[in-house]
Amino acid sequence: MKKLVWIFSFFLALPIAAQAAGGPSIELEPAQNNLRDQDSLKRGAILFSNYCMACHSMKYMRYNRIARDIGWSNEEIVEKMAYNMNKVVDDVKTRMLPGVAMEVLGVEPPDLSLMARLRGTDYIYTFLRGYYQDENGKWDNHALAGTSMPNVLEGIQRHASAEDYAQAARDIANFMEYAGEPAKLQRTELGWKVIAFLLVLLVLTYFLKKEYWRDIKH
Amino acid sequence: MSIKHSADQAPEQKKGSLLGWLDRRYPIVSTWNEHVGEYYAPKNFNFWYFFGSLALLVLVNQFITGIWLTMSYKPSAAEAFNSIEYIMRDVEWGWLIRYMHSTGASAFFIVIYLHMLRGLLYGSYKEPRELVWLLGMFLFLVLMAEAFMGYLLPWGQMSYWGAQVIISLFGAIPVVGPDLALWVRGDFVISDATLNRFFALHVIALPLVLLILVFMHIVALHKVGSNNPDGIEIKKYKNEAGLPIDGIPFHPYYSVKDSMGAVFFMVLFAFVVFYWPEGGGYFLEPPNFEPADPLKTPAHIAPVWYFTPFYAILRAVPDKFLGVVAMGGAIAVLFAMPWLDRCKVKSIRYRGASYKILLTMFVVSFVVLGYLGTQPATPELTKLAQLFTALYFGFFFLLPFTSVLEKTKPVPERVK
Repeated sequence: MKKLVWIFSFFLALPIAAQAAGGPSIELEPAQNNLRDQDSLKRGAILFSNYCMACHSMKYMRYNRIARDIGWSNEEIVEKMAYNMNKVVDDVKTRMLPGVAMEVLGVEPPDLSLMARLRGTDYIYTFLRGYYQDENGKWDNHALAGTSMPNVLEGIQRHASAEDYAQAARDIANFMEYAGEPAKLQRTELGWKVIAFLLVLLVLTYFLKKEYWRDIKH
Repeated sequence: MSIKHSADQAPEQKKGSLLGWLDRRYPIVSTWNEHVGEYYAPKNFNFWYFFGSLALLVLVNQFITGIWLTMSYKPSAAEAFNSIEYIMRDVEWGWLIRYMHSTGASAFFIVIYLHMLRGLLYGSYKEPRELVWLLGMFLFLVLMAEAFMGYLLPWGQMSYWGAQVIISLFGAIPVVGPDLALWVRGDFVISDATLNRFFALHVIALPLVLLILVFMHIVALHKVGSNNPDGIEIKKYKNEAGLPIDGIPFHPYYSVKDSMGAVFFMVLFAFVVFYWPEGGGYFLEPPNFEPADPLKTPAHIAPVWYFTPFYAILRAVPDKFLGVVAMGGAIAVLFAMPWLDRCKVKSIRYRGASYKILLTMFVVSFVVLGYLGTQPATPELTKLAQLFTALYFGFFFLLPFTSVLEKTKPVPERVK
């Protein structure tokens, strides 16, 4: 048993130790989002539509899938996220016309389907709140210096309370985490049932083994 | 449990039974008895002896999930990344199949590394099991190729640049190197052509070789019989029936025991699949959620965790070609274990202090190198990697001498 513990701590300690050393150079604020909070996901979807989709797409998501997962009807989502301009079977496209971003911003804004998996929700939360103006009045971002993206949440930052501003960034991060892996909730809900079943099976196989091995003298 | 051979049965019994009919046309009964029902294994197997059957379980998992992934995956540079996301989002249970496959890859190496360590602990590579060890080492080699090629298929940034770095290593070989790298890639950079050939090798050629080698590994093992934690040959003491006294039939004794081990393993496996599929960024690396971009090199390229010990050895050597030689040597030298270790005693239980110290040094070096391989190569870490590379090879260079001088304990006649 001692050996067993030793081996597992060995293999568990390895990635954890390594994980501590990686990551971006600045301290990330914890997003503290909750994937099970459907209201947050709904707010996040609307914020995403209003503040992100002007430039960004989310091409691996379809409106009807989002509607089903976060508790909207097909009519509701087309109205709230797509302003009735898209069909419910469409994927989430940017409203920017092709080529415009390159001309105005000098870069192609990345698709955001997998941004949460690529950088994590803490990064998204920190990035959205990381804008500042330097002494010349030029905008920059603590999380990504020299970013071409404008401070899209500036209006909320100026006019809403600090809590509401934080909540808006959190809701967007939450929605993006959902979009990064729509099956995540399904996965965590199924997981413990599978493990519980296997634990019952483990007890049964343990006693089966014991029964068979009774006649083996050590 | 053994099945009575149909030849032993009365002719009228033979006639009616399906088994009898089949057995007269195909050696079902004798094969079953030789490898399962009457395969006598030592009765004292411990925890370490689960990993062989677990490796087989993971292999089956990889085959089945792999076949289902192939049904929706598109092996083309333009579509590969999208098709993986299609599997993760739109294919029914696609996410589960994909996570079982990606987790299975890491689980395979965990199980295989522990399986190999078991061999080192109890001297399972020694006479008469040299061929079992060699076939196992070929399996390890093919498994590494299989994993490496499979890792390119998602066509993410890390897939792409990892493959780019590893294949460029061929270029370091004098004279033929650059042409060889070109030949492997089928292009001047990793491209659609590379992806297609890796797909062919990953789903057909290498699995076929793995299957044949697994078959041979088991046939060789059953010819010489299993080793055990005491490192004693159970065939030495037989009863009147000619059966080893300290052996028990594989079925039902080890089939029920291995079933228990398999379920225990599946509990851990399910935990990772459902709650930790990224494995802290080591089973699925975050940069791989960005599609491959030949024009954008990631800041830090690290291979998947199971290759990092060898990658650290490669980087520890200042010269690129010698680094490749050292990396290849680190794997090749394992093949020679049966001849480097000249001690007659098999099990670590009865071996001298020198082997215990050397083996500990080797295992620690392997783990530390594995960690260093994931980190950026700073001058301090490179120094550390050089030290542990020396210790890694030190194990193999010292062993031929220490194993002769070793003060061993008396080995008992019978297993405990």
